[in-house]
Amino acid sequence: MNGTPELVLGGRRRLSAPLDLAARLRALGLWKVVLLGAGALGLWATIVRYTQGLGAATHLSDSFPWGLWIGFDLLVGVGLAAGGFVVAATVHIFRLEKYEPIARPAVLTAFLGYLLVIVALLYDLGRPWNIWHPLVMWNPHSVMFEVAWCVMLYTSVLALEFSPLVFEKLGWHRPLSWLRAAFVPLVIAGVLLSTLHQSSLGTLYVIVPGKLHGLWYTPLLPVFFFLSAVAAGLAMTMVESCLSFRAFGKRIETELLQGMARVVVVVLSVLTVWKAIDLLTRGNLGLVFRITPESAMFWGEMALGAVLPAVLFAMPRVRASERGLFFAAVLTVLGFILGRLNVAITGMVASSGVHYVPSWMEFAVSLLLVALGFAAFAAAVRWLPVFHSAGEHPEPAQAPAAARPLLTRPMLVFFWGFLAIGAGLLWAASVRGTPPTEPAGSGGAAAIVSGDRREPRLPPEFTFPTGADSPGPVTFRHEVHVALVGESAICATCHATAWSLRASGAPQDGAATYDRIHAGDLCANCHNGSAAFAMDDCALCHAQ
Amino acid sequence: MNAAILTDLTRCQGCEACVWACKEINGLPREDGAKRLSATTWTAIERIGDVPVRRQCMHCLEPACVSVCPVGALQKTSQGPVVYDESRCMGCRYCMLACPFGMPKYEWSELVPGVRKCGMCFDRAVSHGEQPACTAACPYGATQFGERDALVAEARRRIAENPGRYVDKVYGERDAGGTSVLYLSSVPFEQLGFPSALNGDPYPRLTWEILSKLPNVVGVAAVALFGIHWITRRREDVARAEGTRDENRTGAQS
Repeated sequence: MNGTPELVLGGRRRLSAPLDLAARLRALGLWKVVLLGAGALGLWATIVRYTQGLGAATHLSDSFPWGLWIGFDLLVGVGLAAGGFVVAATVHIFRLEKYEPIARPAVLTAFLGYLLVIVALLYDLGRPWNIWHPLVMWNPHSVMFEVAWCVMLYTSVLALEFSPLVFEKLGWHRPLSWLRAAFVPLVIAGVLLSTLHQSSLGTLYVIVPGKLHGLWYTPLLPVFFFLSAVAAGLAMTMVESCLSFRAFGKRIETELLQGMARVVVVVLSVLTVWKAIDLLTRGNLGLVFRITPESAMFWGEMALGAVLPAVLFAMPRVRASERGLFFAAVLTVLGFILGRLNVAITGMVASSGVHYVPSWMEFAVSLLLVALGFAAFAAAVRWLPVFHSAGEHPEPAQAPAAARPLLTRPMLVFFWGFLAIGAGLLWAASVRGTPPTEPAGSGGAAAIVSGDRREPRLPPEFTFPTGADSPGPVTFRHEVHVALVGESAICATCHATAWSLRASGAPQDGAATYDRIHAGDLCANCHNGSAAFAMDDCALCHAQ
Repeated sequence: MNAAILTDLTRCQGCEACVWACKEINGLPREDGAKRLSATTWTAIERIGDVPVRRQCMHCLEPACVSVCPVGALQKTSQGPVVYDESRCMGCRYCMLACPFGMPKYEWSELVPGVRKCGMCFDRAVSHGEQPACTAACPYGATQFGERDALVAEARRRIAENPGRYVDKVYGERDAGGTSVLYLSSVPFEQLGFPSALNGDPYPRLTWEILSKLPNVVGVAAVALFGIHWITRRREDVARAEGTRDENRTGAQS
């Protein structure tokens, strides 16, 4: 049944043919150019990151410690890989075996996705060589600890779920039969681990009620993160099925995509309604209708990225068309990306008091990782039985260019518009960061304090030890000095750099020697003839 | 001992003795001044209008940073200070995100960066019975070290004796679940940049309420998934035995 030409429709190309962009780019090798460009920039950013530190490579700061690498590489990366566990559960637990053909690509995507997330963490962690510490240094109260364990375990599960492809390729039958025996418990473990950490990525933000904008902050964040990941994971599997089945010359079974589309409709609808109810009960629904960069981003996420694709997927006409399915799936994925970035960046900017726009190096590294993902996927498809079991013979590849293009010009315009508006709003939101609240008029506060000047508790007078040829001991009196320097006298005048605050008569460093003092250091910082009398008359200081 | 610090902003003259004493005892570089907290300035005198406001880690009773740290690099000691063990840290910076006061700072330009904040001189003074450098250095008695209960009582006494002088609040008594660093002020705290909307519950409770439910969720879900698998499998076996597998499966899929 595979390989029948009805979807190719080469002869039905209209005169106003939709731009066959994919084919043209492939002919030009443009994607390779893009991949190489991303690789070069990403490599440069990598060198800067590891030779000059996070500060040089990113626009992160004390006020904005988590940026694009957490928002996109971690949150989006993990979420888009959710297709792996959803499809695995569908095929192996619910035993809807017609979905078998997409199980392997979905597991491959997830496996690569998680590997890339770990690579991304090696960039973002300040001390990446300590990434294994959660294995032995436990803090069960930490959401991050739980996420770390789940991600480690689930990546191992994915490696095992993926390994049959390698074993088949190598013809190792014994490990294959072991795996087959353990496969269901493995899949169940994968589903549990995924459920835990997909939701826990949302829980990470439950501890910042004062920082995350009211449009996104809710104790239900873990539920919303889980639901949106299920929808986006399925949508991502659809997108990638459309693209890769096409690129690798396999015919996609529209029936499978339609089944997934129905599930996405349900999940997105539940998500949207639940979010609306949550905003209402928390009294934040008004924020949705106030015109702010945050609300614009929220509308982008929910209206364009959740409601619109749900409506499209619900229409039989859209579900009947491969293009329609592809378009709505891409929308779902874009909406998901926007949603995660909204939590990680848009919603955190206003409270941070700073502007955060990722540096080009943060973008370059993210792009590099995406490019690596595509390259690894293509390599895996080439070398491993991803789209067929090793027993089957791969069907002869159709010329991909002959297939009806998925991307039409209006679709492209729409996507680029979506991205441009999204980027613009993200920028607008991030530069809007409000400075820390200035006090309302300094006058009132000043009046209260200045009417209340207290006398300082000053240390007792101190006599410096005398050397052998000293004309007499020197005694230092704080009272005299503070009184003479007057209103401007603050401890820092002398104690910021010259004198210790912890030991009487001791400098910050070294000893108070005659040479130092008379050479312009310590006492002579002021006793230089301009700020205070010069040290030309011994009797002024030395008692005789 | 439950060590704490009470800073009475009405007594503070902004002389910066605490700041420079802190830098001295901790061996911190002096170049970046005394006005703003940073990885090398662990207490600072910020001027809000004309009011000098001393900033430092609040040493929460149930700190968000301690609860979020995946490797236990941050700990609340039984004596009160919240301390940081650099050797455990992997640099995820979740502490910085989670702290409601924004106290942990990062060494962004270091190749082996660490989180930096006030540790209440735990190693250098408090653990062997001395007071921190900042309170020892204050010539105005504006910032004092002592037992938390005694300091709260002292703060309440000052407010009661001088109601015109203070706003009626000991900041940190209950904020963020209570902190070991307490403040008195004549100016409303929200005007001085103190987060005012912290509810009385400690922050770690927000996430623990969710985390503590997970074992139950996992247990129930695991049983449910095995159950579903068993049922679907069994149904297939039965269908196969009856020789009507194909029909049955089409039925199950719709």
